[in-house]
Amino acid sequence: MDLISSKQQISSYIIDSQEEEIKRIALELHEGVGQNLYSILTGLQFVETGIKEPHMKNHLREMSLLIEKTIQEIRLLSVELHPPALTTLGLLPAVKNYIKLYTSTFGILVDLESDGDERPIPERKRIAVFRVCQEALVNIAKYADTSEVKMNFYWNENELKINIHDFGKGFQPVEPKDHTSSSGLAAMKERMYLTGGEFTISSKIGEGTSIQISLPF
Amino acid sequence: MTELNEHPAVIEICNQLKTLVSCDFVGLALQNVSGPDVRWHYAAGNLNDKYKRITVRFGKGVAGKIISSGSPMILENFPNEIIGKVTDHPIMLAENLISSYAVPLFFNGVPKGVLLVGKREAYTFTETEQKLVDESAHTLEHLLKAHIIL
Ligand SMILES: Nc1ncnc2c1ncn2[C@@H]1O[C@H](COP(=O)(O)OP(=O)(O)O)[C@@H](O)[C@H]1O
Ligand SMILES: [Mg+2]
Repeated sequence: MDLISSKQQISSYIIDSQEEEIKRIALELHEGVGQNLYSILTGLQFVETGIKEPHMKNHLREMSLLIEKTIQEIRLLSVELHPPALTTLGLLPAVKNYIKLYTSTFGILVDLESDGDERPIPERKRIAVFRVCQEALVNIAKYADTSEVKMNFYWNENELKINIHDFGKGFQPVEPKDHTSSSGLAAMKERMYLTGGEFTISSKIGEGTSIQISLPF
Repeated sequence: MTELNEHPAVIEICNQLKTLVSCDFVGLALQNVSGPDVRWHYAAGNLNDKYKRITVRFGKGVAGKIISSGSPMILENFPNEIIGKVTDHPIMLAENLISSYAVPLFFNGVPKGVLLVGKREAYTFTETEQKLVDESAHTLEHLLKAHIIL
């Protein structure tokens, strides 16, 4: 086996085990911690019905509210780590869910359009594409200074193409080999490459940044 | 609570505060009546309307931390020296803020709102300026008390 492909195998292995671990933590948060908190909440609400003193009642209600907030945050954290839709419903529903969370977190509107019929994609590739989209959107929230994003899915006969454009301030892209400090973009490219797909980024100051992803079936 | 534009006195205080501390941005976040969501209800000096769509995450970022801890928070040179990720601070990102001072609004002894002043440059808010924010927060607590269902 030559050096290049064995290096790629190691990268893939590391990525896969990381994803497994993320999925486990997400599930544990949602099913374990989240469920327990929910039981506590129901218990508190029951206790509240048996209490007469307004002061104690109020105190209990505030505690219930705090637990409610915590449950909500745990759920969001879990979805952020690994959206259940990615495993159960597929790439497009998972991206749609993530966009909702993204807009309510950053206030940035994402206009998502999908052309053609969604095709089943193996889970490993699905996760890779999802992560790259997620990273692209996070970069937009961090750097683009924009209020809207256009996201297009094109399901063709033999490949899926995704285009993400941000209408933001744009930047001067550097060759991955030139920037050792920031590796987010390099990692996105590598990740698509490892799944047999492609990743390109183009940007123009004042006009925004575009990311193109393609994944052959 | 009902829509804030029905409370001109609240808006007046936010606008006044912006002039008094000569900052670039003032934001007021409040907990919704139904459910635990906290949202930005009013802003002065905003560059866009992203704040309107932001739901503050409990325990995250300036506003979320203040709601969960009940203590004021200072950022002097965002994103340097922050705890957590840059993306945990959506209002700073949305409004290009570099520095901020933010305080909790208490209702019934529980933090249920945030008053934030911010600048689009590195800055340390003086004690006098911080006091002005604290005072405005108290005034807002009184004004809004009747409108927040406890
Ligand atoms: N959508 C975008 N709009 C403007 N600038 C961007 C965008 N995406 C990336 N950049 C620029 O490219 C640099 C590298 O991005 P990335 O490799 O993801 O690093 P980081 O870890 O900082 O997110 C960023 O520091 C930023 O200057
Ligand atoms: Mg990045």
